[in-house]
Amino acid sequence: MNHPKGPILDGSMVDSRIKDEGARKEQSVLSDIVSFFTSVRTTIVILCCLAIASILGTIIPQNINLEDLRRTASPFYFRIVVILDLHNLYRSWWFIVLLLLLTSNLLGCLLQRLPKIPKEWRGAADKGSVSFHRSDSRPIHEVKGMLTESVSKLMNKNPTVVEGGEATELVWVKHRIFLLGFPLIHIAIIVILIGGLIGLLYGFKGNIQLREGEVGNRFVLYPSGAIATLPFDIAVDSFTLTRYETGQPKEYRSDVVILKDGKEELKGPIRVNQPMTFEGISLYQANYQVVGVKHVRLSVKGVDGAEEEINIRPGEAIPLPGGELQIKLASLDPGTTSRGARVEIDVERAGKQDRVVKVFRNDSDPAKVEDAKIRFLGYEPLYATGLQIGYDPGTVFVWSGCGLLIAGFVIILFTNLTAVSIRLTQGDGRTKIRVHGRSRRDRAQFREQVEATIRESLGKSSSGA
Amino acid sequence: MTSIELITYVTFSYLICAVVYLLACISTEQESGFRSGALGLLIIIWCVHTFAIGLRWVESYQMGIGRAPLSNLYESLVFFSWCIGLGLILVRMKFRTDIVVLIGLPVAFIALASTSLLDPTIKPLIPALQSNWLVAHVVTCFLGYAGFAVSFVAACLYLISRGFNSLEPYLPNQRLLDEIVYKSILAGYPMLTIGIITGAAWADYAWGSYWSWDPKETWSLITWMVYSMFLHARLARNWKGRRTAALSVVGFGAVLFTYFGVNYLPGLHSYF
Repeated sequence: MNHPKGPILDGSMVDSRIKDEGARKEQSVLSDIVSFFTSVRTTIVILCCLAIASILGTIIPQNINLEDLRRTASPFYFRIVVILDLHNLYRSWWFIVLLLLLTSNLLGCLLQRLPKIPKEWRGAADKGSVSFHRSDSRPIHEVKGMLTESVSKLMNKNPTVVEGGEATELVWVKHRIFLLGFPLIHIAIIVILIGGLIGLLYGFKGNIQLREGEVGNRFVLYPSGAIATLPFDIAVDSFTLTRYETGQPKEYRSDVVILKDGKEELKGPIRVNQPMTFEGISLYQANYQVVGVKHVRLSVKGVDGAEEEINIRPGEAIPLPGGELQIKLASLDPGTTSRGARVEIDVERAGKQDRVVKVFRNDSDPAKVEDAKIRFLGYEPLYATGLQIGYDPGTVFVWSGCGLLIAGFVIILFTNLTAVSIRLTQGDGRTKIRVHGRSRRDRAQFREQVEATIRESLGKSSSGA
Repeated sequence: MTSIELITYVTFSYLICAVVYLLACISTEQESGFRSGALGLLIIIWCVHTFAIGLRWVESYQMGIGRAPLSNLYESLVFFSWCIGLGLILVRMKFRTDIVVLIGLPVAFIALASTSLLDPTIKPLIPALQSNWLVAHVVTCFLGYAGFAVSFVAACLYLISRGFNSLEPYLPNQRLLDEIVYKSILAGYPMLTIGIITGAAWADYAWGSYWSWDPKETWSLITWMVYSMFLHARLARNWKGRRTAALSVVGFGAVLFTYFGVNYLPGLHSYF
C-alpha cells in the first residue's frame, strides 16, 4: 500500500494533538493553553504575524525623530505611534511579545516530542512502512540464526538481542543520530532568540570621533544620543587612507592604543571588516573626516634662484629669504575648482601682519611675496576617525545557536535512519515471525529490500500467515 | 575575448537553446534523441557560462583588483542565471521532466539579458565589501534563490495543471510536480539559512552588529519565514498540492522583493 505521506517524515511527527483529542473528555482552559503552545498550527500563525510585522517595519520609516513627528502628524496618529512604537518596531513591546510567544511555542513542541525519542533510539519501528508476519516450521533458535545472519548483512551491523520468556527480539538501528536533527534545529532557534534578547537588554552601541593624536573615552550612545563613558581610553596614533587610481577609497584604517589608567593594554590597527575587541567591547572602523591640516608643503624661491621645499605646520612661523618677512598658515581650502586646493598665508613683518597671500595648487605661476616666489605643492590632511562601538553579550549564544542549526541541517539532510525489528515467538509448534521496519527516506526501496532478504533467507519452508 | 563579450554570446545561446528545447519537446516524445541533444546543448552553454565567470575573476586580477565576480548588480545577475542553469540541469537529470527546463530557460535568458542594461566594467571594491564573507554570503544566498526559482516554476505548472483540465495532459504528472515543488525548496532552504548566517557574521565584522533590521536583512528573514511556514505546513500539517504550490509562489515573490524590491527602500544594502 502506498502511503501518501511526506517523503521525509512519517506519522510520528504529525500533530499528535489530533489523536489525543478523542481521548480527552474535558476541555479545560489549561489543556487548551497547553495545546496552543504545543501546536504547529500556532507556529505557522506566529510566523505569519512576525512576517507581516517585519514587512511593516520596512515600509514605515524607523528610528525617526519623534519630536519632528509630533509637530507634523495628527495627534491621533502620534498617539498610535507612541503606543505601538511604530518607528522603533523591532524593539517594540509587542514585537518582543511575539518573539517570546514563538520561543514558548518552540519549547512546548520540543518538550512534547523529546520524550518519544528514547523509544525510537532503541529501534522501535512499529510505525514504519515495513510490517508483515510469517510463520516457519523450524525451531525458534534456528530461525533466529538464519534471520540474524541475513538481516545483519543487509543492515551491515549486528542486532541487539533481547531474549524474553516468551519472545525473542532482534533489533537493528542505523544512523539514529537522525533523531537528534529536528530537536537540534529547534533548540538552535531558541538559543538564537535568547541571544538576541540578551543583546537587546544588556548590549549597547555607539560611536566616537577622535582626531589623530587625540585620546578619548566619552562616546555617543545609539539610538538615544546620550553621552556615555568607556571603561578604557582610546588613543589614536594615526589614520591612514589609501585610494585606487580612480579616486575611490581602497583602504582606511586607524592605528590605536587602548589605555587603562595610563597603561598601554592593547595596540594595533582597526580596519573596515577587521574590528578590535577589548574587554568584550568592539571597535569598528566606520568613517572618517578631514578636520585640519598636519602640514603644508611649499616651495620657496629666493632672489638668488635657489628653490627650497619647506613643510609648514599650523602655528609655525617660517622666515622668507631676505630675512625681514616670515609666513604663517592662515587657512586651507581643499578646493573644488580647476585651480585646485588653496592655501592662505599670513605674511608678517616684524611680528605684525603685513598682508595675506592666496596660493592655488594648480596655478602655473607662483605667488610673489616681494622677492620670494611661493608655490603650493600639497598638504597632509589631519583626519578624525569615526569608530563605532559595540557591546553585545548575546553574540556567543547567537553564534552557538547558528552552529547548532547548521549541525541539525547536516544531520537531517545527510543521514537516513533505518531500523528493523523482528519478534520471534513459539506457538502451535511453529515459530511466529513478526517484522517491523522503518526508513526515513526511500521507503519503498527499503521495504522491498527487507522483504526480499527475509523471504530469501527463510527459503521455501515458511509461509506467510 | 573578454568575459563581458563571452557573456553576451552566452546570453543569446540560452535563447537559442530555449527555442531548440521547445522544438524538441513539441516534436518528439520523452527520452528522444532530439531532447537529449537539447539537454546536451544546455550543458555545453552552461559550461561556457561557468568559464566566462571564471574568466572575469582572472581579469580582475589582471587589473590589479583581484576579487570574486559577485559584487555588483551585473555580476550578481550573471551568477544568479548561472545558478538557475545549474538548478535546471539538476532537476532535469533527477526528475526527468523537460517542461521545467522549458519554462526555466527563458527565465535564465531574461536574467542574463537584463544585464545589458547595466554597467559591466570591473570596478574595485569599497572597503566595506572587501571580505571573504562576501563570497560565502552571496554564493549561498543565490543557490538558495535558484532552488526557490525552480520550485516556483514547478508550482506554477502544478497550479496550471490543476486549474486547466485541457492543459493537464501536456504537463508532467501532478504528483511529480508537487514533489519538485517540495524537494527544491528543501535544497534551497539550508542554503538560504547559511546565507543569512554568513551575512550576519559579515555584518558583525564590518558594521559591529550582526542584525540591524536593515530592509534587505529583514526581507531575507521574511523569505526565510515563508519557507519555514511551507516546510512546517508540508511536514507537520501534511499540506500538499495547491496550498503548498501557492505558498511556493508567495515565497518566490518574497525572494524577488528581497533581491530587487529592497533597492527602492532606503538602507545600507542599496549599492546602486
